[in-house]
Amino acid sequence: MDDLDALLVPPARLRLAATLTAVSEAEFATVREALQVSDSVLSKHVTALEGAGYLKRRKGVHQGRRTTWISLSSRGRRALSAHVAALRELTDGIE
Amino acid sequence: MESKPTPAEAAAALRDAEASRAAIAGGVVTPSWFFTSIAVAISVQIATTAVGLGDGPVWVLVAGLAFFAAVAAAQLVRFRRRNGVWLGGLASRVVLGTGTAASSSYVIALGAAVWAALEEQWWLVVLCALGGGAAYALSGLRWLRGYREQPAARARGESAAWLALCGAAALAGLALLLISA
Repeated sequence: MDDLDALLVPPARLRLAATLTAVSEAEFATVREALQVSDSVLSKHVTALEGAGYLKRRKGVHQGRRTTWISLSSRGRRALSAHVAALRELTDGIE
Repeated sequence: MESKPTPAEAAAALRDAEASRAAIAGGVVTPSWFFTSIAVAISVQIATTAVGLGDGPVWVLVAGLAFFAAVAAAQLVRFRRRNGVWLGGLASRVVLGTGTAASSSYVIALGAAVWAALEEQWWLVVLCALGGGAAYALSGLRWLRGYREQPAARARGESAAWLALCGAAALAGLALLLISA
C-alpha cells in the first residue's frame, strides 16, 4: 500500500492516533468518549498500536479510581505523520 | 488485511481524524480561577522576590516561591482531574511561563520591581508585580486559544530535562543575586 501504514489504515485507529497528538497523555475513558467507541473496541486498537510501539500505556489513578493513561510514542508520531502524508497524496487527485 | 483506501475514503479518514482531534482539544477547559490564581501567585512571587532582594528578609522571597509552587501544583492537579488529559504545553508554557511572552514580561516586571524595591518605591513594586502577573496570565490565555486552533503543534511542552535545567539555572541565578545583595 505504498507509504500507507497498514496499522493506521482502520479509520478508528487513525482517529485514536490523531486524537492523542492533541495531548501529552490521556485517560482511557476520556479517549473513549472523544472517539465514541466502546471499551472493548478502544482496548483492541490500543493493544494493536502498543504492540507496534506506536503507543504507550501506563496504570494510574483518575478521580480516585485506578485507570489507564495512554500516549502516543515518538515512533507513533513519526508513523502517523508519514501515513497522513500518504493519505494526502491519495486525496490530491480529488480536490 | 485492509485494502488501499480510495481517494474519497482517504479524504473521509483525514476529515474524521481531524474532527476527533478537534473534539478532544475543544473539550479542554481550565478549572475555575485558573488564570486568576496564576496571576495572583506570580504577582506575589514578583513582589516577594523584589522585597527579598531589597532590604527585606530572605524568608519573604522563599515564601513567595513556595506560594507560587503550591498554586501551580494545585492548579495542574485540578486541570488533569477535570479533563482527564495532561498537556505538557500548558504546564510549561502557561504555568511555568516558558512561552516567549510570559517569560519576557516576567523578566521585565521582576527587574523593574527589584529596582523599585531598592529605591524603596513600594507603590511601584506593587504596580510591577500586578502588571507582571496580569501579563503572565494573559499570555497563558493566548496560548490556550492557540492550542484550540493547533492542538497537535502546541500540546507538548519542553522535556523534563530541559525544564530541570532551566529550574537549576534560575535557582543558581537567584542564589547569586542573594549572595551579592
